[in-house]
Amino acid sequence: MSTVLAQIESQIAKLSSKAVRKNTGVITTVADGVAKIDGLSDVMYNEMVQFPGGAIGIALNLAEDEVGCVVLGDVSKLKQGDEVQTTGKLLSVPVGKGLLGRTVDALGNPVDGKGPIASTESYPVEKIAPGIMARKSVSQPLFTGIMAIDSMIPIGRGQRELIIGDRGTGKTTIAIDTIINQANINRVGLASGDPKFRPVYSIYVAIGQKNSNIVRTIAALEAAGALEFTCIVAAPAADNPANQYLAPYSGAAIGEWFMENGMDALIVYDDLSKHAVAYRQISLILKRPSGREAYPGDVFYLHSRLLERAARLDGKGSLTALPIIETLAGDVSAYIPTNVISITDGQIFLETDLFNQGIRPAVSVGLSVSRVGSAAQIKVTKQVGGKLKGELAQFRELAAFAQFGSDLDAKTKAQLDRGSRIVELFKQPAFSPIAIELQAVTIYALQKGYYDGIDLKKVTATSVSIREFFKARHDALLTEIRTKAALDKDIEAKIVAALDAWKSTQSA
Amino acid sequence: MPAVPAKIRAYAKQLLQLSLDNGVVSAERVAGVLEYLEKNPPARLSLVLAAYRKLVAAELAKGEARVEHAGPVAPEALAAIAAALGRRYGRPVAATATPNPALLAGLRVRIGDDVFESSVSGQLSALSAGA
Repeated sequence: MSTVLAQIESQIAKLSSKAVRKNTGVITTVADGVAKIDGLSDVMYNEMVQFPGGAIGIALNLAEDEVGCVVLGDVSKLKQGDEVQTTGKLLSVPVGKGLLGRTVDALGNPVDGKGPIASTESYPVEKIAPGIMARKSVSQPLFTGIMAIDSMIPIGRGQRELIIGDRGTGKTTIAIDTIINQANINRVGLASGDPKFRPVYSIYVAIGQKNSNIVRTIAALEAAGALEFTCIVAAPAADNPANQYLAPYSGAAIGEWFMENGMDALIVYDDLSKHAVAYRQISLILKRPSGREAYPGDVFYLHSRLLERAARLDGKGSLTALPIIETLAGDVSAYIPTNVISITDGQIFLETDLFNQGIRPAVSVGLSVSRVGSAAQIKVTKQVGGKLKGELAQFRELAAFAQFGSDLDAKTKAQLDRGSRIVELFKQPAFSPIAIELQAVTIYALQKGYYDGIDLKKVTATSVSIREFFKARHDALLTEIRTKAALDKDIEAKIVAALDAWKSTQSA
Repeated sequence: MPAVPAKIRAYAKQLLQLSLDNGVVSAERVAGVLEYLEKNPPARLSLVLAAYRKLVAAELAKGEARVEHAGPVAPEALAAIAAALGRRYGRPVAATATPNPALLAGLRVRIGDDVFESSVSGQLSALSAGA
């Protein structure tokens, strides 16, 4: 009993008897999540302000005689005449490994019912991106586990690669696959005890999404065992626009902690179109002048300052960003898509037509690029898949011509046949990323003609069978490919021998 | 609340400048300004007067420390508070005392937008916010 009292007394003793100075103001209007405040003469831009009843706000508009604040939290309890105080602090969120496996809101409060977050540090939500001197060029790969991407549009650690496409083309699936693949790689790498192994931790930021979708995503990550390496920042559609606006920055702050502390992290912003819409709403209510499509003038800076925070730091870690943008009717020349395309280091373009044809992931090889990733590609992928992009491009061209005539020479027929086999080979179901060594084997089999003569419809199943065979019987060889990351004559001979062994099981 | 047009705000600000004597609002000058406005009424006089009133009130609040207290406050303490705030803000400050039992004990001083909190209720609310 006495210890309890002593605790309370020590807490009381800690309260200094010195006068605390606070700058105050009075709410003049509250509307649509934005409060206009008279007073607050000392408030700073982006400073947190304290509303009565525990809600906090951020000062976004500093006018001569009025301060415009977005309210984070329950607006319904605020009324005209309420007193508002400055806090002298910028908005910050808890960071650290304690967030892995957790779901938090835009302010870093847990929303998954798993109790408080074990975190001692916090990072400011808004931070200037690392400068030129602190950076290092992208040279380490980040495998998505999707063959079409890893072989033709490779992504490196510290890169910003946009995933863009219409609704329902599998944008989120690619991001989730990538997160799952990182978890798979982490598990293998951590189990191997290799001191040089660098795990990749993931952050998934859901902006303006349906709660049911977020639940499904979490369930998919949990089922794949990826949740323990992942932090989810959720600002669903029902959340106020201020939280939706802040969520990506909170996620970036969580990712920066990993980067600053010598670790690698991957962040997915799903999606930035809805982020721009939330920011447009705030800006219009704050009466900022609107520009094209009613977006405010700083909508480019909104995304550029966010994506610039993804980097690979010299002597520290990296933060790789996969922003997602939803287009309307495949229009990549709309305002927000062009903005984000110009900021990022490449894009993965997903097409509705391909998706409906059953080519999933529906990656459009012609329109997708990776501007820095090829420097990060490992040698084995270059060796087996270096020509794939060109071959597929040729195939597309020929396929367009072949529709008009039936008389084709043998060479063209062969090229068409090969192209359609590559397309089949790259089909991959959702949430089943393929390890890079298995990808190498699959594509190597293509280069050596192991799929030739097989019915086109059976190519996908055959590739699965090859991978199963290698996983079951040639685990040591797969490990060798993974650790050496290049094909030499010895390994090639072993792969050929294994493929021949596989072939004999097929004909039997 | 409709926003005050920028022109009227600027005009009211000019009037405020005319009302200051050495940086302090003087009753004499305010009377002069009001007399002028009566003789030469500008367009939308009521808005101008409301804006002017608001500016003068804000200016006056900067020189007036409202001391809320629970329990007795000695006149010397009030004078000391006024002198300390005067030094801090670099202008003469007058202190007026109002009892506020809700503070439980201690003082709360308001001057302009600033609040100096040294009361038990303030500390308790800080404690509950931290918990």
